[in-house]
Amino acid sequence: MSGSGGGCSIRAIWILNSIDAVVFSRRFPVVEKRWRTACRSENEKVTENSLSYSVFSLFPSDSELAAAFVERKQREGSARGFGIRVSQSSVGSDSWVDDPITRHIIGLYINKEEEGDNNLLWPLILHIKDESLSSLLLDLPSITGAFMVAHAIGDIVAGDAVEPEVLVSASPSVGGLLDSLTGSIGISGISSRAKPVAAPVASSIPSSTAVTGAVAVDAPKIGSRPLDKDALRTFISSSMPFGTPLDLSYSNISAIKVNGFSSSDLPPADLKQPAWKPYLYKGKQRMLFTIHETVHAAMYDRDEIPDNISVSGQINCRAELEGLPDVSFPLTGLNAAHVEVLSFHPCAQVSERGVDKQAVMFSPPLGNFILLRYQASCGHGPPIKGFYQLSMVSEDKGAFLFKLCLMEGYKSPLTMEFCTVSMPFPRRRVVSFDGTPSIGTVSTTEHSVEWKIVSSGRGLSGKSIEATFPGTVNFAPWQTQRLPSSRSFLGSIADEDSDVETENSNNMVNMEEFIMEKLINDLPPVDLEEPFCWQAYNYAKVSFKIAGASLSGMSVDPKSVSIYPAVKASVEFSTQVTSGDYILWNTLSKCPSAAAEKV
Amino acid sequence: MSLKPLSPQDWESLIDDFQHGGSRRHKWSSTPSLLDLALSSILKKDFPLKIQLIIFLEEFSDSFLDFDEHFLERLVDTLKIIIQSPTDNLFITMSLKDQMLVSTTSIFISTIHQFNIIIVESLVEFLLILINRPNHGPDRQTRGVACECLRELERSHPCLLSHIAGHLWSLCQNERTHVTQSYMLLFTWVIHNIVVHNVNVSILNTSVPLVPFNVPQSLLLSDGCSSTSNGSNNYNYKELRRAMAFLLESPQVLTACGMVEFMAVIIPIAVALELQASMLKVQFFGMVYSYDPMLCHVVLKLYLSFFDAFDGQEGEIARRLMLISKEAQSFLVFRLLALHWLLGLNQSVLSSKGDKKKKKPMAFDSMGLSFYPNVFDPLALKALKLDLLALCMESLKSKSDSEVGNSVEKVFEDGIVSVSAYKWLPPRSTETAVAFRAFHKFLIGGSSHFDTDPSTTTTIMESTIFHSLQGMLLDMMLECQKLVPVIVAFVDRLLGCQKHCWLGERLLQTFDENLLPKVVMDYKLASCFPLFDRIAENDTIPPSRLLELLIKFMVFLVEKHGPDTGLKSWSKGSKVLGVCRTMLMHHHSSRLFLRLSRLLAFTCLYFPDLEVRDNARIYLRMLICVPGKKLRDMLNLGDQLLGISPSPLSNSIFNIQSPRTSHNIKKSRNISSYVHLDRVEPLLVKQSWSLSLSTLGVDSNKPGYLEGIRDSESPVEEREIDGSAEIHIPETETISQPQEPLRVMDSKISEILGTLRSYFSSIPDYRHMQGIKVRISCTLRFESEPFNREWGVDSPASGLDRVDALPAIYATVLNFSSSAPYGSLPSYHIPFLLGEPPKNDYDSHQQVPLDIVLVENGNVEEEIVRAPVMIELEPREPTPGLIDVSIVTNTENGHIIRARLHSIPIGIEDMFLMATVPSDIPKEVIPGYYSDLFSALWEACGSSSNTGRETFPLKGGKGVAAISGTQSVKLLEVPSTSLIQATERYLAPFVVSVIGEPLVNLVKDGGIIRDIIWKDVASDSSLVDTTSVASLDRGPLHLTYFDDEDERDSVVSTSKRNMGCFLILIFLPPRFHLLFQMEVCDVSTLVRIRTDHWPCLAYIDDYLEALFLA
Repeated sequence: MSGSGGGCSIRAIWILNSIDAVVFSRRFPVVEKRWRTACRSENEKVTENSLSYSVFSLFPSDSELAAAFVERKQREGSARGFGIRVSQSSVGSDSWVDDPITRHIIGLYINKEEEGDNNLLWPLILHIKDESLSSLLLDLPSITGAFMVAHAIGDIVAGDAVEPEVLVSASPSVGGLLDSLTGSIGISGISSRAKPVAAPVASSIPSSTAVTGAVAVDAPKIGSRPLDKDALRTFISSSMPFGTPLDLSYSNISAIKVNGFSSSDLPPADLKQPAWKPYLYKGKQRMLFTIHETVHAAMYDRDEIPDNISVSGQINCRAELEGLPDVSFPLTGLNAAHVEVLSFHPCAQVSERGVDKQAVMFSPPLGNFILLRYQASCGHGPPIKGFYQLSMVSEDKGAFLFKLCLMEGYKSPLTMEFCTVSMPFPRRRVVSFDGTPSIGTVSTTEHSVEWKIVSSGRGLSGKSIEATFPGTVNFAPWQTQRLPSSRSFLGSIADEDSDVETENSNNMVNMEEFIMEKLINDLPPVDLEEPFCWQAYNYAKVSFKIAGASLSGMSVDPKSVSIYPAVKASVEFSTQVTSGDYILWNTLSKCPSAAAEKV
Repeated sequence: MSLKPLSPQDWESLIDDFQHGGSRRHKWSSTPSLLDLALSSILKKDFPLKIQLIIFLEEFSDSFLDFDEHFLERLVDTLKIIIQSPTDNLFITMSLKDQMLVSTTSIFISTIHQFNIIIVESLVEFLLILINRPNHGPDRQTRGVACECLRELERSHPCLLSHIAGHLWSLCQNERTHVTQSYMLLFTWVIHNIVVHNVNVSILNTSVPLVPFNVPQSLLLSDGCSSTSNGSNNYNYKELRRAMAFLLESPQVLTACGMVEFMAVIIPIAVALELQASMLKVQFFGMVYSYDPMLCHVVLKLYLSFFDAFDGQEGEIARRLMLISKEAQSFLVFRLLALHWLLGLNQSVLSSKGDKKKKKPMAFDSMGLSFYPNVFDPLALKALKLDLLALCMESLKSKSDSEVGNSVEKVFEDGIVSVSAYKWLPPRSTETAVAFRAFHKFLIGGSSHFDTDPSTTTTIMESTIFHSLQGMLLDMMLECQKLVPVIVAFVDRLLGCQKHCWLGERLLQTFDENLLPKVVMDYKLASCFPLFDRIAENDTIPPSRLLELLIKFMVFLVEKHGPDTGLKSWSKGSKVLGVCRTMLMHHHSSRLFLRLSRLLAFTCLYFPDLEVRDNARIYLRMLICVPGKKLRDMLNLGDQLLGISPSPLSNSIFNIQSPRTSHNIKKSRNISSYVHLDRVEPLLVKQSWSLSLSTLGVDSNKPGYLEGIRDSESPVEEREIDGSAEIHIPETETISQPQEPLRVMDSKISEILGTLRSYFSSIPDYRHMQGIKVRISCTLRFESEPFNREWGVDSPASGLDRVDALPAIYATVLNFSSSAPYGSLPSYHIPFLLGEPPKNDYDSHQQVPLDIVLVENGNVEEEIVRAPVMIELEPREPTPGLIDVSIVTNTENGHIIRARLHSIPIGIEDMFLMATVPSDIPKEVIPGYYSDLFSALWEACGSSSNTGRETFPLKGGKGVAAISGTQSVKLLEVPSTSLIQATERYLAPFVVSVIGEPLVNLVKDGGIIRDIIWKDVASDSSLVDTTSVASLDRGPLHLTYFDDEDERDSVVSTSKRNMGCFLILIFLPPRFHLLFQMEVCDVSTLVRIRTDHWPCLAYIDDYLEALFLA
């Protein structure tokens, strides 16, 4: 079946809401027919080989699917599942496969009332042929495609189908659970849930949100607005009329739907108009480039663990150019910026990468688009250096000290627009704090202490400053937190070894360790999408925004941008650097780390 | 039938119900002509749900009753009407037109197999008309959709359009709007089908008109496209290459999705036409640098199809995939996918044969170390990166052996750093799960579950990683007990895998060897119990080490027990027993027996908690009584009953095993024929008494007879004791005591009385305290074969272990009852009994040459197939009788058997006991004491007794006994030797004295009768006279004349060789005595009998005859 299975077809799409009811479904009978034909031939093959596998070819109704989904949720602990094999995993369940991808590719057991037996909706048949999940995935563009579809639809459902902004960062996409069951010829259903991962440009979500939200991750909310079924229906019909995706660009599809075409929309005289550019631009010609960078840092201030700073960046672009011109410019200084990864928009023609530079040529689509993405190290050195120490003097009182240096070695035009340091205490309630910083202002919220070093409007440019902040913070008495009931099975595990733990606490010599032990004992496990258990650590998170230049050293020289056929067009360039997870780990406590990478 | 139109609301709920499925859908099944209604609704100008309804028809039309050919015709008509009506952007929109096209095509494709394919002609023709206007402006989108419709039709009916391929090509060349993609894809599919189905058409030829459209002949004839089977290529190679060149010219116009479709079709064409793959590579390889995952995937597909063309670029692809996984901007799932692709590539390259095998790992380890997880990588990504590291390590390992050991370990350790929080986070944390998953991957390394190479496991066991991991786990357990359950789960996972269970066993062995000696003996040890359980389960590990540790721990618990550790002691103790139980289930009892029984015995005796003690006792009992397999079965059964999972399987087990009382009377009655309770010592006078007591008639008479006798004797006691209130009792005694000195008697009598008084005061009064007990030893056994027949116990016929094949009964209770005055008879409990093996089987078994095992087995059998049973009587009167026996027992398959067994006869000899010795008599003077007691009782039972009216208080002071003696004589005409033998055999304990030198000499040498008073005749004269000696002296001379005149002859003859005399004192419970004075001559013996319980004389006669004459 691989002959026709090279493409990508979707068997059906379901959208479930947070109470596990199907709110939208769409089946593709053409794909379904191909699927059944394939099943029949595969089942025949199977009987020849006298293997006891058979493929479930029937199709579940909405109610059956919803029931199966609920059943799976119970089996797998949550809507996403465990992902890797844990003690609750049962044979045949997704987590038994023991691969994180099963949080994205799930199996459903459809219980057909008439037949009274369970039928697995998953590519069973390919397991026979293939040795492993990996080679299976490699063989199935359908899965990849299904994820693309799922993400596209997810954005529509959540109302987040936003083009990348050229000048300001896109709003973060939040919420929106999308469940689609996808498939193609040769594959049974594959369900994927597009969990809206924080969009790359929007990684400015403070990690404290991630901390408090850790438990609620599996309780996604559908956007506050009602599901726009008509928009969805139109999008699906246009983007994959027969279940085979053709174009997932929401902006193009909605533009065509709204505008249509008139006889005045003439095709280019000698060129074929690309499918991804249904309209041609008319008007004043110009080009805009914006570099967005997000800085992630893990600052340890320890001898044995080196600090870790990385920059993820992208060049967003808008080309308001008439016709179908090619644009090219060289990317230089790649080595100096330690640019590691370069990925391009499909419209770009990528040549071999040179030692230190790479030429980029592209035929720009309409509207804003991400021309390229990159990963780099920080060419300028960390914008905020220093340390954070927090020591628990008693169970409810901590003494802390910050000693920071901002923008050391940064020259104009680099400008720090604002800088805030926050100490999140997601599991403790801040009662009061004491202490004055050498610069800036301090405020508290229920679960954090915020220190504004540079407030917006008073940008810091061309000089470096030092900031210290000694103080103490008092918490409300510690209360053992009950685990949410959905995780009660974990609670029972905790009970079992409770007697061991109480003994531990008796001979705990160190006060800090004692408090630590107490705090971590009822920590719920985090989701696999988290890098580690945030709540187990003490840290300060820095948020800032820097304008003026990129931190990696990546830049586009407007003068070197050439357009063919040549036109007169202005080229504008801007940069914006924001902080991602910029973490100062408490020097006196535990911190997560990773071995340094060797390339 | 009137067609009443449905309202939009009706349609809405209908659509909902259909999608919901089940019963909600069925309720519409009776509505007629829904399809007609739907089509007319769509055509209605202001119907608001047109698109929904069309999609609904697409999804469900074939499930209607009135679906037929005519509907398809009407559908095409409706399509034409809608497409041709002008767009008003309100009711007739472009979307509606597009949807109508798509849905109509979709309905055709999914249902056309039911009809003649010719029906598709009108639709195809209409679509062709639509697309035949290249570059036409306003309807370009519709043209594109029509192309897609045609493509799907071509796809489902290959070669449908092949004869008009020329027209399609020229359309494709002309089209320049953005829908050119659809034209291209359509044309590509047509080419694909021509190539794949090997059709001979010219794609340059446009002589066949585009319209009217006719289904090609080949499709009409057969179901599919007729592909010639002669192997030669019919298609025009040159033309097709030109078409390909055209198609490959401008792939940049395609969207990413379009590219996926395009490549999926192009690759098979390229393969078939043997195009140069490098051409494709040049054209498409750049897409690997795109951030669109679909494009990357397309390149991978290309790579997989044309390995050779990408020679040397594997490294580049692998690098690129690795970098995609690092792209923080991408959605996590795509980063995961990239790593999966990499793993998949590696596997597919490894599995492909030949020289390629070497290249990939090379590319791999050049970048292997860049798979170290980053600190901010999501855990899912970390997990997969660790997988890759494990894989890289494999290639590192294979590279060289010298410096690798070190670096492998380093890779492992560095990789784990990113999840090292597992060491201190709660064991349920995700970090822990990821870390242990990584351990597993690293451990099994490259050994997949699919290859059948057995050597791999051994390689792993010798690997560095295995050793360092062992060490790690050991340290982990010693330092951080809360991780033990996780480690256990880890071991379980290995054990659960057919391929890697060796590893798990090996780990357990290591733990057994290295962990057990190091653990600290404190309460925290309990956290290691899950591990101990696994060790106990594994029969490759000798249990001794663990048992020693458990014994130590038990001792620790007992020592540490205090007022505030009650609960702890209980829980830890129970856990220890849990491990013991596991051992019992998985090991041969013989391996465990010594240490485990010590542990259990210690627990029974000293453990502070009652429940633990009880359980230990049960386990100990089981260990001792029940043989291996049966024991394991029993424990297993307990497991299943305790198991919570209500799966149908365990349910049925439960049903089978639930106790069933058998009401089959016939079955129960037969039981006595194969379940036997036998006396160990058969009765001497068995026959005579079985005659007189076997029928109920005699039985019922008997008590009456005895009662009468008791009446005359016992009232004395009863009156005195029962009649008087408690206060009076001491009075009676105080009165009777002062009486004594008043009475006139000689010193000899008073001496006798003194002896008797002190003697009787040591006899317990059964009415107020526990009386003197008589114990009858019996054995219980049953025959296997009839038992199995009756109760249908199908024990597995395992020829090897015969003991296991025998049936068994569990928890047997024997209840005894008797009409004879034997007091209350306690029931007897037998925990386990194995059936007797069939005789012939047993014999053949003995002949098997494997002696050692057999002897052992044989011993076990002897113990187990016969259970000792002790019946305890507390006779109110020394009389023979019958004891009725009833049995309650359980079979293995859950039957409860209740039945009666044969009665056990009780003879007079069972009543023979030694007289009690008051506690103040020193041991060494006991023979003298007995001798004195004999004289006293002899005297007291004599006819001219002076003690007749005396009463003697019994122990406890409440009752008194009076002696009312009777005497009798029995002549036994047996030779002295046999008499001595019989006496030695049956009466030895009761002999208190032997008198007369010849007899003394004979008996003393025998050595059987010991610790008594020996008196030879010589010394006799010198003695101050005692009654007995005097009578001995006189005996032959006087008694013969006066007492036994009838038998004078014999007496005379015997008197000649008088050898001596046995004095025998027998106690008959509850308080009576039987005294024999046996004057032994060569050929006969005269027995003088005195007793204070005359009814017993009736049995004594028989007894003596049976004893000596039989």
